[in-house]
Amino acid sequence: MEFSIDRGEFTQALALTQGVVERRNTMPILANVLLEAGEDLSIAATDLEVHIKRRCGAKVAEAGAATVAARKFYELVRELAPGDVTIRLLDNHFVEVTSGRSRVRLVGLPAEDFPTFPQADGSSDSAFTIDVEILARMIDRTLFAVSTDDTRAHLGGVFLTGAGETLRFVGTDGHRLALVSESVGGASAPEKGIILPRKGLTELRRLVEGRDGEASVSIGGNVVRVELADVALVMRLIDGEFPNYEQVIPGEVKFRVAIAKDELLSALKRVSVVASDRSRGVRLALANGQMTVSASSPDFGEASEELEVSYDGDDLTVGFNSRYLTDVLAVLPDTQKVEIGLIDDVSPGVICSEGDDTYSYVVMPMRL
Amino acid sequence: MTAPARCVLHVDMDAFFASIEQLDRPELRGKPVLVGHAGPRGVVAAASYEARKFGCHSAQPMAVALRMCPRAVVVPGRGRRYQEVSQRVFSIFRDFSPLVEPISLDEAFLDLTGTRELFGDPVEAAEAIRRRIREETGLTASVGVAPNKFLAKLGSDENKPDGITVVTDHEIENWLPTLSIRKMWGVGKATEAKLTSAGVRTIGDLARLGETGLAPILGREAGRFARLARGLDDRAVTPRREPKSVGHERTFEVDLPTPEDVRRILLGLVEKTARRLRAAGMRSRGLTLKIRFGNYETITRSRTFRDATDATDELWREAKAGFDAWADASFRPVRLIGVSAGHLERADAQLGLFPDARRERSSAVDRATDAIVAKFGSGAIRRGS
Repeated sequence: MEFSIDRGEFTQALALTQGVVERRNTMPILANVLLEAGEDLSIAATDLEVHIKRRCGAKVAEAGAATVAARKFYELVRELAPGDVTIRLLDNHFVEVTSGRSRVRLVGLPAEDFPTFPQADGSSDSAFTIDVEILARMIDRTLFAVSTDDTRAHLGGVFLTGAGETLRFVGTDGHRLALVSESVGGASAPEKGIILPRKGLTELRRLVEGRDGEASVSIGGNVVRVELADVALVMRLIDGEFPNYEQVIPGEVKFRVAIAKDELLSALKRVSVVASDRSRGVRLALANGQMTVSASSPDFGEASEELEVSYDGDDLTVGFNSRYLTDVLAVLPDTQKVEIGLIDDVSPGVICSEGDDTYSYVVMPMRL
Repeated sequence: MTAPARCVLHVDMDAFFASIEQLDRPELRGKPVLVGHAGPRGVVAAASYEARKFGCHSAQPMAVALRMCPRAVVVPGRGRRYQEVSQRVFSIFRDFSPLVEPISLDEAFLDLTGTRELFGDPVEAAEAIRRRIREETGLTASVGVAPNKFLAKLGSDENKPDGITVVTDHEIENWLPTLSIRKMWGVGKATEAKLTSAGVRTIGDLARLGETGLAPILGREAGRFARLARGLDDRAVTPRREPKSVGHERTFEVDLPTPEDVRRILLGLVEKTARRLRAAGMRSRGLTLKIRFGNYETITRSRTFRDATDATDELWREAKAGFDAWADASFRPVRLIGVSAGHLERADAQLGLFPDARRERSSAVDRATDAIVAKFGSGAIRRGS
């Protein structure tokens, strides 16, 4: 195997694979990237849960394949002088990197030991295409709410479901839940629903950053396959039962206030400074056309801030984990007001962007 | 400008448990009273002043106490009642300062440094606290008023019962040096023996030797002792100490001969422990079993688990697993069995979206049990092992 490629382009392509490679793994080969030179070059990495394969143009002198330690290889290529870099497979799986006056020999492992990339077998249960900007937004608006608790694997991913032209993503950690629905052309998303793992979605989000165009998604067996122009990603689905999320979304709320997003976000950031480190609890108190955001802890002190809102209901005070509020405000657009719907101090609150019925966020209060 | 001199109070209720018994049962007044279990292996939890005249004191084996004072009336302890009175006493403390550091049910430090403006002279405040305790609970307390915790504690001990001691520079110079080293915190039998054999008998002796003189005897502790002996102590009064563990243990009159017997008692102890966790709003992530044999040899078995819990079911599962692992391999008749729940964290105040069916059910059972126990006492309901 021998090929030459522009260092800049190569660095970018390798960067995309870095997140997939496990830092701690039991199989040494999984710490490597697979380089396959044929008509063009493909770079693959996997942790057996998420597979990624990036194609890029290269001048291939001799077809073949090699594997080399992903991180070391990336660090090296990134530091090479601009211009072309030549990669050649030597005996005993050594990989030679030459660029200008640099010559580096890296230890490799046999390419045939690298796990095969799951091929599309054409028997997918469902498939659809989606605009990558919409895909990115749907991930951004749900992935942050997904559980990071390894003991609750079924909450460790985003639930994807669909009906007709509508595609829906749901993320929850058991305390808050984010739900986004978008209509996508020619969709036939699985009605039953599947759970996409956090890591796979994080990598997918990285792939679509700054891109436009369409992604084609196909779901079959226990994997989902996403194809973009020059890159493919396959992730294994989480096997588990997603909770019945629809039953926890309040149908009717009693109190509704609209408030400028920036004002609320910065008030929360200021006030939560004195909230207890552990609970991060803040109180939202509604009374007489005002919402008072306050927090206190014996260790740090107390803070409160008044915000003008359009509100004329009964007085109500509800406690929330401030991070659960700032998380969602961070993904809502600056241009619209946010709407907060409340029922009482032990029932879920609902947050959405005014005039946007595609997104809602449900958050449980905390007792303060 | 110099910082105002600190003012710390140590308030110690006089023979707390015994005094409550005498208060609630007038026929016990003026008589020697021992609170604790009467059996051969019982331990004195509190002795009334009438009993102390005979040499009885708390933590003494009941049998020894009864030899010293055969006329003493032995009454079983009533933890709930003591707790209730303790809460009333502590609420009086909190009227005088937000800085109240509980040491036990009947003892606390109060920092009055910042409240001088409010309550005037600390000695008057101390008298006011004693008066209110007397009026509102019918009990007496002894108080030490001093510039720090160490001296305040020595002070409250000086004029017991029903006394007040104010420690000023005069006392630090003339009284402190005369006290026995046994009065020092951290001086147990071993340290006392070491000091005595070096000719150190009083706090004054300690002060004279100083850090360098004490180093060969006390090692790393020398500096601390030398400072305390000169009446110096800058430890802060820290309110609301969270408990590190919650637990119960029981000693048997006759060693329990079979694992089944011990397991049955252990279940009761786990139930009580879980109930206290729930009442305190805490959850535990680790249990320690303590097992003592007839020859006083004691072993412990610890288990930690991933999710903190306050559920009787889950705690019992862990306790039972730990006990069975030991009992199956090497059971011996047991003199004492104890369980303590450690690695405590505050129970979550965050409400959940989805009910966890198993946990909900078990917590509903626990809530119902707690309510029954609160109303009818712990004998009213038992779990089947």
